[in-house]
Amino acid sequence: MSNILIRLNDVNKVFYTDEVETHALSNISLVINKGEYVSISGPSGCGKSTLLNLIGLLDTSNSGIYQLLAHDVSGISKKERARIRNKDIGFIFQSFNLISDLTVEENVNLPLSYRKDLTKNEREQFVLSSLKKVNMEHRANHFPSQLSGGQQQRVAIARAIAGNPSIILADEPTGNLDSENAETIMTLLDLLHKEGTTICMVTHDPRSAKRATRSIDILDGQIIADKNNNQTNLNHINTHQTDAA
Amino acid sequence: MMYSTVLQDISYAMRLLAKKPSFTILTTLVMAAGIGLSVFMFSFLNTILFKDLPFTDGGSLVIFSGSENGYHNQNRLNSHDYFEIKKQLQGVSEFSLYYDTAVNVAGNDGARRYKAILIAPNFFELTRTPPILGREFSDAENQPGTEAITLISFDLWKNIYAGDKNIIGKLILINGVNHEIIGVMPQGYAFPDSADLWLPIKQHPTQLTRGQAEPIYGLAHLDEGTSIEDVNRQLDLIMQRIEQNYPQTNHGIGAYITSIPWANVQDGDVIIYTMLIVALLVFILASINVGNLLLSRAVERRKETAIRVALGAPRSRLISQMLWESIIICSLGGLIGLLVMAWGLQVTQKITATFFTDPLPFWWEFGLDNFTLSLFFLFVICSIVVTGLLPAWKNSAEDFNGVLRDGTRGATSKKSGRINKLLVMSEIFISMTVLISAVSLTVASYIERNINIGADTDNTIVAKVILSDTDYPTKASRVLFAKTLTSRLENSSNIGDVMISKKLPGFRADTALFEIEGKEYTQKNNEQYPKANNISTTIGSLKKLGVKLHHGRYFNSSDEGLEKYTAVITQSFAERHFGTQSSLGRRFRLISENGKPQDWLTIVGVVAHTAQGDDIYAKIPSVFRPYSQVPKGTISIAMRVQTDNSATIRQLRATLKSIDAQLPAYRIETYNQGIERMAAPLKFVSSLTLLCGLAAVILAGSGIYGVMSNTINQRTQEIGVKQALGADEDLIIKEFMTTGLKQLLWGGFPGVFAGCFLGFAILQLFNNGLSILIIITLSIIMFIGSIVMIATYLPTKRALKMEPSEALHYE
Repeated sequence: MSNILIRLNDVNKVFYTDEVETHALSNISLVINKGEYVSISGPSGCGKSTLLNLIGLLDTSNSGIYQLLAHDVSGISKKERARIRNKDIGFIFQSFNLISDLTVEENVNLPLSYRKDLTKNEREQFVLSSLKKVNMEHRANHFPSQLSGGQQQRVAIARAIAGNPSIILADEPTGNLDSENAETIMTLLDLLHKEGTTICMVTHDPRSAKRATRSIDILDGQIIADKNNNQTNLNHINTHQTDAA
Repeated sequence: MMYSTVLQDISYAMRLLAKKPSFTILTTLVMAAGIGLSVFMFSFLNTILFKDLPFTDGGSLVIFSGSENGYHNQNRLNSHDYFEIKKQLQGVSEFSLYYDTAVNVAGNDGARRYKAILIAPNFFELTRTPPILGREFSDAENQPGTEAITLISFDLWKNIYAGDKNIIGKLILINGVNHEIIGVMPQGYAFPDSADLWLPIKQHPTQLTRGQAEPIYGLAHLDEGTSIEDVNRQLDLIMQRIEQNYPQTNHGIGAYITSIPWANVQDGDVIIYTMLIVALLVFILASINVGNLLLSRAVERRKETAIRVALGAPRSRLISQMLWESIIICSLGGLIGLLVMAWGLQVTQKITATFFTDPLPFWWEFGLDNFTLSLFFLFVICSIVVTGLLPAWKNSAEDFNGVLRDGTRGATSKKSGRINKLLVMSEIFISMTVLISAVSLTVASYIERNINIGADTDNTIVAKVILSDTDYPTKASRVLFAKTLTSRLENSSNIGDVMISKKLPGFRADTALFEIEGKEYTQKNNEQYPKANNISTTIGSLKKLGVKLHHGRYFNSSDEGLEKYTAVITQSFAERHFGTQSSLGRRFRLISENGKPQDWLTIVGVVAHTAQGDDIYAKIPSVFRPYSQVPKGTISIAMRVQTDNSATIRQLRATLKSIDAQLPAYRIETYNQGIERMAAPLKFVSSLTLLCGLAAVILAGSGIYGVMSNTINQRTQEIGVKQALGADEDLIIKEFMTTGLKQLLWGGFPGVFAGCFLGFAILQLFNNGLSILIIITLSIIMFIGSIVMIATYLPTKRALKMEPSEALHYE
């Protein structure tokens, strides 16, 4: 059985604004295996968030092939993309993106509520267990506005893991937090990784990037480096080499 | 320093408004419509109803009118009853009385018809207005048999006598009798409404029986500290006691007081208050709309405001900057509204003039008076507060640190979500209330104006003629006049059928009490005398008018003669008093209050019901008598037009001149115009209310869409989050539609309740059923519901067109 979770082949993304073409991603090829902890780094505007959006099916590429769990998801419908996001992908955002009208518990339950294969009891159990994992079960009935930034991000992590997704995509998860809270969040991600969760994280922070098992550097929409943080060798690889790996 | 800061803020606000001209034009026009329409309605109603009459103590002057079965229908009161009231009533003083009538006044170019008021000697004292020339008359001059005298209006003095300073003592020929002019009243004085002449009433109830005395309206000043309600409670008790003494004739007869302007409203106060509520709601709706547009602009400018805060701008300065936008929009909109309103009031003066054949009540002077201008400024200030303060306060109180960091907003703030929901629910509530009440009034008015009067009114000219007691002293002379007029008109080439009647179908007639042979009318069996319109009509008129014969026959030559006693009744009279039995050949007679037995009348025919007047009067059954048996002084003439209207009118005037050179015809118009005129005030107020309703539809439609669109716009990021978490389009649409539906219910339920409350009261006033209200309400629920659903669906769909990644970073 294949260990490959995500495979990108020659993926391109171009933005068009007022007749100006911006090549956000150029010929990206990439494989992420199950259980990996990948960080994507690079300067502002290099395309790292665009790449994460494509991986998370929040956006579509202009060309190239994207396989998730060995299924080609490049040209699937919006409805199918939504279903995959719900079942296989968990998101953690820089700005937490909790719904202010919903309590902590309701926020965590939100992705589960879109699933038809779960009973109410199952959903409640999933919510409780994920809140326990981030140590936020005692604030289950609070609203996001009653929580600190760090607490809000812990709730967001609980929401991301509640449905037991195949991969967690984190976009600058500590970007809006102080160092103490940032450390708590990173420790949580470490823990999730140790439990076997696949994580793909976009970050500016080199210290956060180093905590991942694999670091990918992007510049001007292209992968310029892909290194295994447990090894010292630096591999400048092209897309085909990555594919072969 | 302060001055330059303000100037800087104004210039900044102007620059911002100029940058978005379509926004500026839209908001200014919305405010113009809201302020203009609302202030217009208030000004219109204030002028006709709420303003004190323009003389000293005008505000405390009240009129006594008669009611029937609880309906305040402005009947005249029996003089005997009024004198009883005067003896017993507390809390009012300076009693006087009057009644009005039409008179012929002879002039060099023929006679004209004028409105005369027959008054008690102290009549002018109550209005604190002496004549500008001459004098009032004394008690002695008010005795029967004394010399004929009159006071004339300023207009009559100017028009007939060219303002002759030596007018006092000159004679004026009124209804064929010379009257000495003893006074001229001041310019604009036409009390009680549109009087041309004032004559002594010359009657005292103690000298006449209950049946003989002419019914009157009472007048008095309300004492300080006494309310109209207090007096009306006393009047109820007094009239109940009178009813106990005269159970057959006074059953259901009551009395009530109102201010002079309110007298014509009768039971229509619910319409007036509905109009005021609707006007106020339209203003609030406009303010909410503009407030919402400014709020969404304030949200758009959060970042700019945040930068200002970061640079040290005090909160007061931020509020001031944002408030100037509102001040400019509301002032400019208000000014446009004021100009259109001023024009509207001028037009109203012309339109309302068509309501009456007499001049307008003397206090109906529409224009930008002190009240209107004060209200206008108040509305402008309120609109600035409503539209400006909320967005300014909200924006200046924002967490600007978060805005600048471009992060922690997470999703829309709870507070702004609540404000948006409140705005939508307010819009729904107001539009439901306004629309249900406005449509109810319009539908009631339409039904009222389209009742089947039971006669063919097309292609017909109508006119009125007064046969004075002096020129036509005998019944035979009146019968001869009617016959001569009919035959001469019908023999002319311009005119077809000619119908003469005391009152034509469609117009309000005098009612009388009757006694049916074989029935007992005693207090014991609680049987009341039947009441019906008592109308005399020339032979052949009913048939020629198209009033359908159901049984028996129309009047014919065998009914001619003062010694004959036959009658034709309407089907409604037959059904009510004879049930399924045949009424032909049955007898009944008029009830005389002086106890003198009247002759029995034999029913020879039954015709279709004719509606004599509108509202409750339309349902009163009628009794027709041949004019040759009961010739009346005031007659209505209806003529079928053969060639054209003007030729018919010319023919009528020429024919009248050939019979009696001093006999004028008045109220000459088409039959349909006459019927329309009766309902014209109702049509006008319902049109005004409908105009407000239409404004409310446009404002509410655009407003609900605007607020919903703004709300969903602000929730775009939330949509992105939900999409990221796996919600598909259908789910999100369903969720937003459910939210829209909830808001519809929260705002709609109280709106339906308030609208139905007003609508029910209006429809009840016109005796319309609950089913009409249900249909109206359901239609409006569907209509507003569709607006809310469309206003939710389209912006949601638009937001869903974005990729989730775009929606997540949407600002």
